[in-house]
Amino acid sequence: MIAELVIFNGIAAVIQDAVIALIPLSIFFILFQVTYLKLPMGHVINLFKGIFLTLIGMILFLQGVHIAFIPAGDAIGSFFSAIGKAWILIPFGFFLGMLATYAEPAVRILSAQVEQSSSGFIKGTLILYTLSIGVGIAVALGMARIVIGFPFLPLIIIGYAIAIILLWLSDRDFVAIAFDSGGVATGPMAVTFLMALAIGVAAGIEGRDPIIDGFGLIALIALAPILSILVLGIYFRIKKVKSS
Amino acid sequence: MLSEGRETLKEVIQAVAPIALIVLIVLAVLTSSPVSDLVNYALGVIMLTAGITLFLIGVNNGLLPMGEAIGSDLPKHGSIYLVICIAFFFGFLATVAEPDVRVLTNMVEIVSNGGIARDPMILSIAAGVGIFVALAMLRIVVGVPITWLFTGGYLLVIILALFTPADYLQIAYDAGGVTTGPLTVPFILALGIGLSSVLAGRSALTDGFGLIGLASIGPIIGIMLLGILV
Repeated sequence: MIAELVIFNGIAAVIQDAVIALIPLSIFFILFQVTYLKLPMGHVINLFKGIFLTLIGMILFLQGVHIAFIPAGDAIGSFFSAIGKAWILIPFGFFLGMLATYAEPAVRILSAQVEQSSSGFIKGTLILYTLSIGVGIAVALGMARIVIGFPFLPLIIIGYAIAIILLWLSDRDFVAIAFDSGGVATGPMAVTFLMALAIGVAAGIEGRDPIIDGFGLIALIALAPILSILVLGIYFRIKKVKSS
Repeated sequence: MLSEGRETLKEVIQAVAPIALIVLIVLAVLTSSPVSDLVNYALGVIMLTAGITLFLIGVNNGLLPMGEAIGSDLPKHGSIYLVICIAFFFGFLATVAEPDVRVLTNMVEIVSNGGIARDPMILSIAAGVGIFVALAMLRIVVGVPITWLFTGGYLLVIILALFTPADYLQIAYDAGGVTTGPLTVPFILALGIGLSSVLAGRSALTDGFGLIGLASIGPIIGIMLLGILV
């Protein structure tokens, strides 16, 4: 093949980065090991084999993001803005957000957890659909913000204000789960691909500032599961009152 | 470890494949990218998939048992100050090692042409997580209801937003999302497991949870303060 392969571009910096990231935690553990833990040497060696796997994994992940998702997001974002059909990214964003959430194993675990907390009142599939649609809406809103050009601050303040109101109305067991669930949808897929996509669009549309308009999507995505679970918590509370 | 690896690989593929395929189709059909770009993209996705898989297996067999070992050692010393200090370091160091945080901060540095430097951002995010994990511990000891802490934290985030420079605002909120990545979450939860035995007798269910949610408020405040002070 004559085509240029770029898969090892900049790998030295990535390796250095990953090593520096893991050193502090390792030192922290060694300090604890020497002063308090005193675990058997064989066990410690096994733990450091795990750290080594983490290191290799982190290098491959960061490099993969660097050569696959960031250029792809950028290419798709600039393509749609270049042909003047950036609005397509709004439904496209909805679809991607929904699909990514539906496919994410962490979301399945969360759904099972909520079903359990509601003692089976709220079915796991209902939670899965609510979360998927919630994240889809968040990504669509984030894209709409860039394409149409409305400011981020009112959007996020309204989102957080709704969260504060809902958390006082929702079932108490659901509150903690809701706020812990913010992370389920912001996995490596959202952070890498959707962020690159948003920056690509923002860079392509006249009058948008990539640093102001390109970021903010992850924040909206993180809010979606929180609001979804809180709403389910209110639904559960109402159902509980009715049934007793 | 082999069967565990297979299970992890299956889950990662499940999460990555749908989006990866759609993006490949869009790249090939709509943007008509050259074949070399598509090949690079496909190789990148394979690297990324293998990377997340190895990373998760490594975390489960290295960092996570380390966190649990330290967490379960804490009750022996019976000092709440030690617990709170450890909580801070757990949050801080796990965030420094979190790959999602690196992706976000790298992107910001690239997009701003170095105008917003990466390392101060990582340190602010990590300090934010550390302080909020420590606060979450303190909350359990003092017995402050979780609804109050979330309300307070969110109000602070809304108020600070009004003083934050426009460049930093979006990044600050994004920072809250990336800290809940594949390393920080299990690592901080491992601390919670260790700690619940120190504070045996309190409602484990509602007190144990909420740790991750609180931890993601810290980085928002951290980046906002960075923006205000720089």
